[in-house]
Amino acid sequence: MKDTSTSEDDSNLLVIVIDTNPFEWEHPSAPLKLNQALQHILAFMNAHLAGRHDNKLAVIASHVGVSKFLYPTLNELTPGSKVQTKKDANVYQVFKVVNDAVISGISRLLQDPGPTLQEKDLGSSKIAASLSLGLCYINQAVRSDGMGHVKARILVLTVSPDSSSDYIPIMNCIFSAQKANIPIDVCKIWGEDAVFLQQAAHITEGIYMRPDDPQGLLQILMFSFLPDMFSRNYLYLPGQDQVDFRAACFCHKKIVDIGYVCSVCLSIFCSFSPVCSTCKTKFAFQPLLPSARRLVKGAASSPSSPRPSTPAI
Amino acid sequence: MSKFQTSIHEYLETLPLQTFNRLYQKPATCLAIFRLLPPLGKQIVMSSLYVDTPITVADMKLWFKGGAGSAKHKEAMQRLKALNIFAEERGNYTMNATFLEQFRNALTGGGNSQSFGLATSTPDKHHVDVAFLDEFATKQWEAILHYMVGTTQGSAPCAGVMNLLLRSGLMTGGHRGDAENMDVMDFASQMARQDLAPKITHKGFQFLLQDINTQVWAFLLQYLSMAESLNMDLVEVLTFFFQLGSLELGNDYSSETLTPTQTQMLEDLKAYGIVYQRKRGSRRFYPTRLATTLTSGTPVLLGSHPSASRNAAGAGRKSEEDEEDDHGFIVMETNYRIYAYTDSPLQIAVLNLFVHLRDRFPNMVTGVVTRDSIRRALSKGITAEQIITYLNAHAHAQMRKHSPILPLTVVDQIRLWEIEKNRLRPQASWLYSQFSRPQDFDSTLQYASELGVVLWSNAKRRLIAITAEGHQAVGAYVRKLIARHKEQQAAQTQQQQQQRYQQPATSVVS
Repeated sequence: MKDTSTSEDDSNLLVIVIDTNPFEWEHPSAPLKLNQALQHILAFMNAHLAGRHDNKLAVIASHVGVSKFLYPTLNELTPGSKVQTKKDANVYQVFKVVNDAVISGISRLLQDPGPTLQEKDLGSSKIAASLSLGLCYINQAVRSDGMGHVKARILVLTVSPDSSSDYIPIMNCIFSAQKANIPIDVCKIWGEDAVFLQQAAHITEGIYMRPDDPQGLLQILMFSFLPDMFSRNYLYLPGQDQVDFRAACFCHKKIVDIGYVCSVCLSIFCSFSPVCSTCKTKFAFQPLLPSARRLVKGAASSPSSPRPSTPAI
Repeated sequence: MSKFQTSIHEYLETLPLQTFNRLYQKPATCLAIFRLLPPLGKQIVMSSLYVDTPITVADMKLWFKGGAGSAKHKEAMQRLKALNIFAEERGNYTMNATFLEQFRNALTGGGNSQSFGLATSTPDKHHVDVAFLDEFATKQWEAILHYMVGTTQGSAPCAGVMNLLLRSGLMTGGHRGDAENMDVMDFASQMARQDLAPKITHKGFQFLLQDINTQVWAFLLQYLSMAESLNMDLVEVLTFFFQLGSLELGNDYSSETLTPTQTQMLEDLKAYGIVYQRKRGSRRFYPTRLATTLTSGTPVLLGSHPSASRNAAGAGRKSEEDEEDDHGFIVMETNYRIYAYTDSPLQIAVLNLFVHLRDRFPNMVTGVVTRDSIRRALSKGITAEQIITYLNAHAHAQMRKHSPILPLTVVDQIRLWEIEKNRLRPQASWLYSQFSRPQDFDSTLQYASELGVVLWSNAKRRLIAITAEGHQAVGAYVRKLIARHKEQQAAQTQQQQQQRYQQPATSVVS
C-alpha cells in the first residue's frame, strides 16, 4: 500500500537522534569529545538542508533518562521567538536557526541535572524513546504532506553500549519503521558494535557503520549517511557482512545466544519457567536439566558467526 | 528537473571560467548553484568536500552501481564540469578551489562575505507584513501579464519592463530592429506618438502558460543579457539574484552593503515585484515571495502543497493556503467541459487561448475544449504539452484527488489534435526518374537502400526519392552505371537517359 518509489523531486525528512550521554562522551578514553563531534554533526545537518530547499530536519537528543526534541522545538512555532535569533549576514538563515536551536538545546540538557537518575539508567541513553519520538514526528509529517513526496529516514548517532532493558521497545520501533518504509541508519561512533541498532539497520535496510577513525566523523557522515533515498538506488554504500542477531531475554534482560522461546507468543527467556510471563501459557513438560544448563549462555560470550533468533514483538 | 533550472543551467554553462571563479567567491552563490545540480551531482560534491587529496577517476567510478548508476554518474559529472566545479586532469578529479573554500564557508558559516543579506539594525517604522508583500508581488507581476494579454486592467508597465518584453521577443512593437539601439525613453515616447501598441508574439503565448518561477527566470535571464549592454557587471547581477534566493520572506534587509550596480537593480526588480522598497533610495528592502523562491525549484505561488514547501518557521503559511485556492481553480470533465473558478481577467484571458468559453458567472467561467479551440492555440505556437502542463498545474483541489489528475481521454485527444497538424513534414530530397532499364532501377534502389538514404520509391514508375545527404553517393553510382552502359554499347547510340531533377519533394509520412 505504501508508495516505495523514489524520485528526484522528493523532499527528504531526516530525523537525527544524537546520543548525548555525558558518561560516555566525557569518558577519559573517548576519542572525540561531544563539542568536537557536534561541530561535525552541525555541518552535516547543514549539508542535508543545503541539498534541497524543502529538505527538512528534526533533531532529537537521547540523553540519560530523558529524550528531547532539540529542533524543531515547541517555542519555534510560536511567533516572537524568531526575533531572538540575531541575523548574521555570513550564514544562511535556515542553517543558523537549526544550529542555534541544537546548540542551545544540548547545553541546556547538559547543565540541567535532570530528574533523579536511577541506578539502572546510568551509562545508557534513551535510544528507544528517541526512536519512538522520531517515528511519531515522521508519521505526522508524512500524513500532513498527503502527496507522498516526503521521504523520511532516521539517523542514530550513538556512543553508548546497548542497554538490554530497552530490547523490547527498540524492537517494536524497528518493526514499525520497517512497516512504514523508514530506514534507520546507525553510526556507532566508537566502542563495541551496538547489537540492537545493528539489527535495526539490517531489518529496515538502513546503513550501519562503526568508523575506524572517529576523528573523520564528518567525512563518514557526508559520504555514507547523506545520500537520500533516490541517490541510494545508484550508489554503493557500506553494508554489513555480519549482523549480530542476539536477543535479550524478557525475564532478566540479559542478551542471550540460545534461550527458551514460548511456543505461543514467542517471548524469549533465559531460563525455564513453567508459566510464560507474557501470555500466561502453562507448559506441561519439564526441560531436560543437564542440557539446559549447557544451552543457556550469558551475554559475555559473543558468537563467532551470526545466528538467527526469533524476533520478539 | 523543472524548466527554469534547465534554462539557468544553459545560461551558466556559457560563462567563461574567470566569471565562475568570481561567482564562487560568495557562499550564497555557491549554495544556489549547488542546489541546481542533479541529486547525484550534489552527492559527489558533498562526498568530496572534506577529502583533501584529489579523487582518481577510477575511484569515483566505484562509488556508483553499474548500469543506471554509471549513467547517472556520467550525467552528473558532465554538469559539474560544465559549471567548473570539478576539473579532470591526469586521471584525477579536483574541485575548484574557490568553490571548495566558499562552499565549506556556506555550510559552516565561516568567512566574512556578507553574502546572505545584511539585516537592518533598526526596526522599520513602516514595517510591512508577508500578506502585503504577497499582494505587492502579485499585483506587479500580474500587471505585466495583463499587459501582455492586452486586458485593460491596471496601468501600462514602466519603460524598463516594456523594453524587456520587446527585447525578449515576448511582444513585438512592429520595429524591433530599431529598438535594439534606441534609448528606452525615446522608444516609449515614439510609441506613444505613433500609438503603436506592442503585440504579443508566439513566444509570449508560450510564456503565459509557464509557471511563475519559469517566467521570472526567463525575465531575469533576459535582464542578464541586457546587463552586459548596459555596462553592468554580470557577476554582480548574478550574485544579487542568488543572494535574493537565500533571503527570508517578511524580513527587511539593508541595502548599504550593495554595490551601485545592485542598487540600480533594486529599482528594476521592484518593477517586476521581486523586491519591495518603500521609496526610491530607501536604505532597506524586502524580498517578496517571487525572490525567496527563486532558487528553491518549488513553484510556491502556484498550487504547491503548503507543508511540502515551507520549513518549520511557519511564517506565511496562512497566506500560502489562500494562494493555493487562487491557483487551483480548474475542473475538467471527461466530456471536454472546463469549469474555472476564477474572476481574474488574466486567468480568463489565458484560458481563452485554448478553450472555447461559453458562460461567465461572477466567480467562474465555463467552457469547452474543442478541436477548433485547440487548433487555434496550436497555430499560435503553443504546444499540446504546454496546455496539459498548464491544466495540471492549475487543477482544482478536487481534481487533485484523482490520479491522473486530468481525464485521460481529454489529454490524449489534445495530443492527437496536435499530431493531426504534423501530418506533412518537408524534407529536402533528390528525385531520380526515367530509368530506361528495370535492372538499372533495381540496382540503384538496392544500393541506395543499403546506404539507408531512400525516402520513397515506386518500382512501377521507376522513381526513387533520395535524401539530400545520400545524393552524392547515389549520384556517383548512377554516373558509373551510365558510363559502364556506354562502354558496353559503344557503337550504339545511347538509349537511356537519366535525368535528375533537383527539387525539394514532399514525402508523406503518416
